[in-house]
Amino acid sequence: MTQTEEQDFQPVVGREKRLADARALVEAIENEDSAGEAQLIGELTAAYSGNIFDEVGRMTREVHDTLKSFAEDERLGALAEDEMPDARDRLRYVITLTEQAATRTLTITEEATPTAEQIVDRSQRLKGELAKVAASEADNARLGGVVDSMTRYLDSTTNCAERLKGQLTEIMMAQEFQDLSGQLLMRVIDLLEQLEEKLVGLLQITAPVRGAKGEDGRSAPVERAEDGVGPQLPNAGDNVVKNQDDVDDLLASLGF
Amino acid sequence: MDRNMKILVVDDFSTMRRIIKNLLKELGFTNIEEADDGQTALPLLKQGNFDFLVTDWNMPGMTGIDLLRAVRADANLASLPVLMVTAEAKREQIVLAAQEGVNGYIVKPFNGATLKEKIDKIFERVES
Repeated sequence: MTQTEEQDFQPVVGREKRLADARALVEAIENEDSAGEAQLIGELTAAYSGNIFDEVGRMTREVHDTLKSFAEDERLGALAEDEMPDARDRLRYVITLTEQAATRTLTITEEATPTAEQIVDRSQRLKGELAKVAASEADNARLGGVVDSMTRYLDSTTNCAERLKGQLTEIMMAQEFQDLSGQLLMRVIDLLEQLEEKLVGLLQITAPVRGAKGEDGRSAPVERAEDGVGPQLPNAGDNVVKNQDDVDDLLASLGF
Repeated sequence: MDRNMKILVVDDFSTMRRIIKNLLKELGFTNIEEADDGQTALPLLKQGNFDFLVTDWNMPGMTGIDLLRAVRADANLASLPVLMVTAEAKREQIVLAAQEGVNGYIVKPFNGATLKEKIDKIFERVES
């Protein structure tokens, strides 16, 4: 038997009395005195259960005190009624800000891409025209030299503009973060809403005077894959694909 | 593959619709329309002679998987090629989408090369 168990069964009645009761119990059984037997068993059990009642009483007081201090804690009321809705608004604002930033970036990349395309087109056209001039003035060595260096310049301009187009596409793709972070934030907002509802409910039970907000007793929505469960975090389990290759492998295994 | 084909891009995030639209433009597709969830997409699909549907999964109103089901259940749309581009990455979801008759599945974050590859593959199959 462990230390705690011994403590839990510490009888409240003295050793002498218990021994006397036990001996009397043996005697009652021997004499087939069933009334006396029942009474003695009751007394012996009471020697232990007195402790249990004390313990239940103590726990009840503790629960009562805790609930009382919970109800009296202004901080919890403020948390449920002001700070949590405030936190949700802040998160919504983060979504708005990232959306604005992403939209701004997309507008600029959309404007810049045709500019880069124009540079490529014009450079190539100019290069062609210069080649024609050089061909018609083939005996002019000085002109040939100038056309050569201009052609080299136009080729490098074309390369730069092509690279720029690729980089603009990368910048555009990076804005994808707004969709993913937005979806994740909306889930946190949802969670805050549920927590807030529960906290308000609890505060109402402990202190009914706090007002009657959110009493529809609506249960927390259950996540269903059907409805979509949003982006998964990088350390999610095996039931989540890690990248496009995983998706392709899974679909291939289904005969795709 | 016909570069003039009519494409509907469905996503509740305007940022993502714009990205997909730009990528499609880079691939030479110009006839692109947008919708922000299944509910607005379905009537467009029913009226509009679309050749290709690119849809997200998780959207308010009507989800992408329900849109896919509605498309497959409609006699006029049943054979419309559907590509899902979504952050939904659970295996059971990909299996479900396949069972409901999706033609391709891309998980976000993704890139232009993946989009091109999946579109090429879908139309290779459709045309063969």
